[in-house]
Amino acid sequence: MENAKEDYKIQSFDLETQKLLKMALKEPNTVDLEKVSNVIVDQSLKDQVFSKEAGRICYTIVQAEAKHNNGNVFRRNLLNRLQLEFVAREETRLRSLQEWVCFVTFICNVFDYLKVNNMPMVALVHPVFDCLLRLAQPDSLNNEEEVDCLVLQLHRIGDQLEKMNGQKMDELFYLLRDGFLLQEGLSSMARLLLLEILEFRAGGWMLSDTAQKYYYSEVTD
Amino acid sequence: MNRGNLKRSNYQKRVADGSMRSNEDMDSTSDLKNSNDNHRNSIRPVSFTTPESEGPVPRCTDWESEVETDEMRSSVRCDMQRYRRRILAAEFGPRERNNSSGSSDSRDSPVPGEVMEEDEEVLMRRQKQITYGKNTLAYDRYIKEVPKHLRQPGVHPKTPNKFKKYSRRSWDQQIKLWKVKIHAWDPPAQEGSELQAIDEVDLDDVMDIELDFPELDPDSSAQTPKVSKASSSQADSYQGTPSKMMKIDTSVDLEMS
Repeated sequence: MENAKEDYKIQSFDLETQKLLKMALKEPNTVDLEKVSNVIVDQSLKDQVFSKEAGRICYTIVQAEAKHNNGNVFRRNLLNRLQLEFVAREETRLRSLQEWVCFVTFICNVFDYLKVNNMPMVALVHPVFDCLLRLAQPDSLNNEEEVDCLVLQLHRIGDQLEKMNGQKMDELFYLLRDGFLLQEGLSSMARLLLLEILEFRAGGWMLSDTAQKYYYSEVTD
Repeated sequence: MNRGNLKRSNYQKRVADGSMRSNEDMDSTSDLKNSNDNHRNSIRPVSFTTPESEGPVPRCTDWESEVETDEMRSSVRCDMQRYRRRILAAEFGPRERNNSSGSSDSRDSPVPGEVMEEDEEVLMRRQKQITYGKNTLAYDRYIKEVPKHLRQPGVHPKTPNKFKKYSRRSWDQQIKLWKVKIHAWDPPAQEGSELQAIDEVDLDDVMDIELDFPELDPDSSAQTPKVSKASSSQADSYQGTPSKMMKIDTSVDLEMS
């Protein structure tokens, strides 16, 4: 628990809230878990760094609450908030690309960490795919921010998603190939990211050594 | 090529074939929006199938309920495997003997080669009923007070065995009787509102099985029971369950001895 700050990346919260989160981790029945989940969701939608790892603290709190009194107040509220945000995602995207990207990162991170019986939550599979399919649309591919988000999620949870629904993954990658090949005006960075993710999946969700070298090493001209 | 050196180029909102794509086309879940009551700030929580309802019930559309149902499904499957092993053990091992000779006990132990209930829908419905019954203060007090090995058949409530073959009526009756027995461990009146809810449940049960229930708080008997006999299969009993979160706790069921 001493490393809570580091482990869960809660440095960005004010001290008061950090205390609240630490209590939630240690003694969930002493805090207002609905409030805790709202605090976490709100921050995840604003803070890109936090959204990338927020799933982890969520999982720990869910476990702690289940262990203490078999409760699921935290998870219930978390999923409700996520579902609300999901339903409103198109408006969010129009209002703020950053918030939209944070949301996708967060929901994918929750998918990654919040396992049920060691399996990802089936309820999240279609919503996550919907988000990624959205990111693969031409207007999103034109934003590096969104392409970056898309490939990040695929790196992290692509293999798990494919296991849950291979057909949807195929559908997504049709779009990615099309985007890479046909979309005019795509930035070279976007094309690089797309090419890399195409190779990544083709390699069974990992990069060959040579590909790794190509994409990730500094080359001096 | 170094990623850091790539410059961000200008982008245009043009699709490969030159046409403009609208946002509406891409929303594969627009029906979810429509079904969510036009109010973007709420998800109407469509509660998952109540244990007692028989007719078609709207599919749950909120994620938490889906997750809970999935959790229950896998714990039911796990229980099934364990129970099957018990049946096999009964077939090939020495005969299982219970402490008492009461027939109510022997019906709960697996009999060699018995046919067990395997219909997942039935098992899940039964499990929900059991979970609701266990998710009460009364049950908590009961298990704290009476350890399993000290339970006397007939005196102490015993969880019905969901794997045994029973008719729907028989099962529902067993559950009701079981819950009535558990009420004997209701917390004392000082605990206020939660007791009121439990008393409402009492009245429903009493209506159905015509038992005298002397522990009823005299105030609550003035309340009009909401349930009539005709709708006993849709008893509101479960609305009265105190507000603890649902427990998925099936491990207790299978310890028969």
